[in-house]
Amino acid sequence: MQVILPDKSRHTLPQDPQDIRGILLKFGCNPTSVIVIRNGIVVPEDFTAREDDEIRIISVSHGG
Amino acid sequence: MINSNGVDGRNESCSHCTKTAVVRLTDPDRRLCAEHFISDCEERVRRAIQRERMISDSDRIAVGLSGGKDSTALLRILSRIFSSCDDDASSETDASENGATRPTADLVAITIDEGIAGYREETMEAAAALVSRFRIPQQIISFRELFGSDLDDLLKGREEEACTVCGVLRRRALLEGARRAGATKIATGHNLDDEAQSVLMNLLRGDLPRLVMDTASGYPDCFIPRIKPLLPLSEKEIVVYLVVQGAFTDLPECPYAHTALRGEVREMLSSLEVQYPGTRQRLISARDDVREIISPDETGLQGEGAVTRCRRCGEICSGEICAVCRVLE
Repeated sequence: MQVILPDKSRHTLPQDPQDIRGILLKFGCNPTSVIVIRNGIVVPEDFTAREDDEIRIISVSHGG
Repeated sequence: MINSNGVDGRNESCSHCTKTAVVRLTDPDRRLCAEHFISDCEERVRRAIQRERMISDSDRIAVGLSGGKDSTALLRILSRIFSSCDDDASSETDASENGATRPTADLVAITIDEGIAGYREETMEAAAALVSRFRIPQQIISFRELFGSDLDDLLKGREEEACTVCGVLRRRALLEGARRAGATKIATGHNLDDEAQSVLMNLLRGDLPRLVMDTASGYPDCFIPRIKPLLPLSEKEIVVYLVVQGAFTDLPECPYAHTALRGEVREMLSSLEVQYPGTRQRLISARDDVREIISPDETGLQGEGAVTRCRRCGEICSGEICAVCRVLE
């Protein structure tokens, strides 16, 4: 699966299904400070990502 | 109920229908699809407005609209609750869902142009597009018009004071905009995270007067009451609320934001919220309990806050020289 972080960097993860919350923690993303888009649709962090999924992580915390 | 299941057999459907959930919320524990989440957010805001008696039918509400996510969500939600002239899509939903006349309160958007090059242009455009879509009058006030300089110029050589200077001037500008618009209330887009951060910052600074001050009854320098209808919603919920409606734009971050203590407090609270869910709400509840016990008089605020007029500008303030004149020195 492809993971796109808030800084737009792309990472490829092994194909086994993974808990999205675990993916966030792996990349040091705080679940209260980001939203997760799985294949273009917002999903909760306790959903699962599988091999062909694209997981986009967007930061919600902005100053200003 | 038919459930949609994930690859591991886990239930991925909304607690109220068969659609796939977009969020999982707690207290009470529930998963919601986009439609039910939108209704849930708006209902929580509506209830908070009602419970705290924030708005009455005769009010004219000055909505602080920067064009960022919080104020965008605020204007959308208040439009859906109060205004008789919002966008076509929401009007259809209201007619079918409620079948009743909504309460009315006049809304007017107040947009402050601080004068931050490379940052405000985009958000000003977003604000203009929003008021046009919702057919809400907009009052634009610039620092240059009101204070004679852009924020960028005012901060030269003292960038570390950016958020303090901007905050003081922006409050005055918002007040001026509200006065020009004939508003009876000022609504701002402060959310659950903002409020919890403010509580913790005031504690860290040992600022008890500010901790117990209730802006709903007016700052010492602002007698138009300020209301915060989005307090029931977290920053994350606000972003999801906008994203599922196709209304979220990832706008640039304020170039001065990194100088603020708030950034560190934000990080700290976010980590605590993950480890100990409900931390933000408990902080705010504890602050509210303190407010019940200690009045501003007992913190020494009354002496400082006695109503007077600034010797320089004549504006109502709590000392000899108002905060605006002090930061403009």
